[in-house]
Amino acid sequence: MSVGYKTGVDPRVARLADLIVDYSLELQPEQVFRIDGLEVASPLALELYRAAIRAGAFPYTGLGLEGTLELLLEHGSTEQISYIAPHQWEEIEELDAIATIWSELNTRALSRVDPAKHSNYLAFQRRLHNRRWERIAAGEMRWCGTLFPTHAHAQDAGMSLTSYEDFVFSACHVDSENAAEHWRLVASSLQARAEALGEAKELRILGPDTDLRVSVDGRTWIAADGRYNMPDGEVFTSPVETVTEGEIRYTFPAIYHGREVEDIRLRFEGGRVVKGEAARGDDYLKTLLDMDEGARILGELAFGLNYEIDRFTRNILFDEKIGGTMHLALGSAFTQAGGSNTSGLHWDMICDLREDGEVYADGELIWKAGRFLHEPVPSPAGVEAAERA
Amino acid sequence: MPDTRHERFAQVLVDYSTHVGEGDLVLIESTPLAAPLIRALYRRIVQAGGHPEVRIGLDGAAEALLTAGNDEQLAWISPRLRGDAREANVRIAIEAETNTRALTGTDPARQAIFARSRAHLRDLTMERAAAGELRRVVTAFPTHSSAQDAEMSLADYEDFVYRAGFLDEEDPVASWRALGEKLGRLAEWLDTKKELRVVTEGTDLTVGVEGRTWIPCDGKENFPDGEVFTGPVETSVDGHVRFSFPAPHAGRLVRDIELRFEGGEVVEARASEGEDFLQGMLAMDEGARRLGEFAFGMNDSVREFTGHTLFDEKLGGTVHMALGKAYPESGGKNESALHWDLVCDLRRESEVHADGELVYRDGEFLPDLF
Repeated sequence: MSVGYKTGVDPRVARLADLIVDYSLELQPEQVFRIDGLEVASPLALELYRAAIRAGAFPYTGLGLEGTLELLLEHGSTEQISYIAPHQWEEIEELDAIATIWSELNTRALSRVDPAKHSNYLAFQRRLHNRRWERIAAGEMRWCGTLFPTHAHAQDAGMSLTSYEDFVFSACHVDSENAAEHWRLVASSLQARAEALGEAKELRILGPDTDLRVSVDGRTWIAADGRYNMPDGEVFTSPVETVTEGEIRYTFPAIYHGREVEDIRLRFEGGRVVKGEAARGDDYLKTLLDMDEGARILGELAFGLNYEIDRFTRNILFDEKIGGTMHLALGSAFTQAGGSNTSGLHWDMICDLREDGEVYADGELIWKAGRFLHEPVPSPAGVEAAERA
Repeated sequence: MPDTRHERFAQVLVDYSTHVGEGDLVLIESTPLAAPLIRALYRRIVQAGGHPEVRIGLDGAAEALLTAGNDEQLAWISPRLRGDAREANVRIAIEAETNTRALTGTDPARQAIFARSRAHLRDLTMERAAAGELRRVVTAFPTHSSAQDAEMSLADYEDFVYRAGFLDEEDPVASWRALGEKLGRLAEWLDTKKELRVVTEGTDLTVGVEGRTWIPCDGKENFPDGEVFTGPVETSVDGHVRFSFPAPHAGRLVRDIELRFEGGEVVEARASEGEDFLQGMLAMDEGARRLGEFAFGMNDSVREFTGHTLFDEKLGGTVHMALGKAYPESGGKNESALHWDLVCDLRRESEVHADGELVYRDGEFLPDLF
C-alpha cells in the first residue's frame, strides 16, 4: 500500500494542484470545493486541499477506497446498486467546485463484473451527474477532471512510472513554472480555431479506409482549454444527427469501461451506424451499438490539438487530445454545442490522422497530416517561442 | 468460518456490534491503512443488505487545515459531514493512523476551535445513538504507528489486537455476551452506590455517582470493549489523581498528568510533557474542567499498556475518567467539546471504596459483591 509517499512531494504535483485551483476552477474564497478520487490519488488530493486552503476556499475530500465498487456490483441487489444516499443530492446543490482525480490502482478491476449490473449502476449514478452538469451549464458550479500518474496507468501506456509521470506532467505543462500562462495562450488560440470552424457547414474526413461526411451546420465549436480537463487541448462540437454518411476506420483501440475493442469500422447512412465491425471485441461493439436509440448516432466530433501528447496511452483523458488526431464519439451529444442526441452511451473513438489524414471543410482542404493548414493552432512549443519573441 | 482474521473481525462488527440490516446506511470511517478490514466490512455489509459508504481520511489534510487555515476555514463543516451525522444508521469508525503524533506541532488553541465547531455534530450523533436511530462502534486496525507506540512488532501487535477482541477464540460473540452479562451485574450493583473513593500512589479522589446509571460495555460501541462507566455528579469530584499512563489525544501525547479537583472542577493541572496542550484543552470551554465519565476497565485479555486509549481504558485493573462531555445515557449532564479519556493503573497497591466500604483491591473487585 501507499505508505511512504508523503515525504518529498514532486513539485510538479503541487504545480498541477495550483493550476487546477487557480486556472481551471478559479476557486474563490469561501467556495465549497470537493476533491473526488480513490485513495491512490492522495498525493494530488492533498496538494489540491492545500492549494484550496491557500485560496481561502472550503475544501473537503470525497475519497473512496479501491476495490469496493466491484464488491457492490458482485454482491449487491438491484436496490443496493441503485442506492444514492440523500446527502449526495444535497452536496451537489451546495458545491461550487469539484475536482475529480481519475487515478486507479487497477484499471481492469471491473473486467469480470456483470455488464448489466454495471450499466444499471451507471444509469443511477447518471442522475446525479446530470444534475451536476445542469449546474455547470447554468454557471453555478465548476468542475475539472484530471489524473495523478500511477503504476496502473503507466502499465496501460506500456511505460515505466517515471516516464509516465514525465508524459502526464508535460501534457499538463506543469514541468515548467508558467503553466497557467501557457494555458491562457492555448485558450486564446483554441478559441480562434473554434470560431474559424464555426464557419463550416460540412466536414469531410479522408484517411485509410475512411471517407466520412459530417454536417456541423449551425453547430457551435467549443475550445477545451483546461477548465474541465487537465490536460486539455481540443476543439469539439456535436454534429447534425441525421446526415452523417460514409465510412470510418479507427486505428487506435476504442476503450469503453476498461474493455478494448480493436480496429473498429463503421458505416453511416443518414446519421446512423448501419454497419459496425471490429477485429476484436465485435460482440461488445454490437451490444453497445444496441444500447439505445441514440447509441448509433454521433454525439461528438473533435480535433485533438495537444501536441505534447504524442502517443496512445489507453486513457481517454490523454488519447482524445493527441495532437493530430480526431475523435468521433457515438452517443450523447453536448447541448452547449447545439447537439440533441441523447443516449446512455458516450464512447470516444480516436482516429489517427497524423500520417495520411485530410479534412475538407465545405470542399476546401483545411487539415493535412495532423495539422491545420491555415491559421495553424500553435503548438505549446510554438506558443512558448512566440511568447519569448 | 471466514478464512482470514480481517473477515472474522468484519463479521463480528457487522453482525454482532452493529447488527447491520436491510436498508441501513452504513459509514465505514478510516484511513487507507485499514484497507483490508474496510473491504471485508464492505462485503459483509452488502451481504447483510446495507448500503456501505467509505469515508477515507486524507493524511496531512488536518495538519494543513490547522496550520494554514483561517478561523472560518477551521470552523467550516462540509455538507458531507453534516449529512453523515444526520443520515447514517450505522457508523463503524476504525482508528488507523500513519503517525499518532502528526499534530504535535499545531496550536492547541486552533485545535480547540476545530473541536468546538464540530461539537454539535458529535452531540447530534450521541442523541441519535441514545434515541436508537444510530448504532456506532469505534474500533482500531493494527498499524505500524500503533505497534510503535506499544513498543511491539506489527505481528505481535496484531496478535494483541485480535486477542483483545476475543477474535482468537472459537466463538468471539459468545465470549462478548458472557462478559456483557458479568458487566451487567456489576453495573446494577454500582447503581446502588453514592460515592466512590479511589486511592493509589499519587491519587486520593472521591467521585459522586449518586442517581447516575452505570452502563456495561460489551463490544457494541467500542471494539474491543469491556468496561462499565457512568457520568459522575458534576459538582462532587474532590481530591487529586495521577494518571500513570501517558494520555494520547488529537494527534499528540501528554505524560504524567496530575489533576486536583474541588467541587467537581479541575483547579490545578500539571504534566511532565505536553502541559501546554493540557492547559489548552482544559481551557476549551466551561465543561472541559469537569469529568464527563468515570469507568472501570474490565477486559482481562488486555493485559498491557499500549498507548492507545481504546485499549488502555479497557485494561483489566484500571479506572479511567474523561474530562468533558458526558454520555447522556449515563445520566451525566456535563457539556463540552472535549471528551478526553485518562487512564489510571490500579493493579498495584490500590483500593477503591464504595460508600466507605472497601470493594476493590489491586485491580480486582473483591469476590461475591455482585
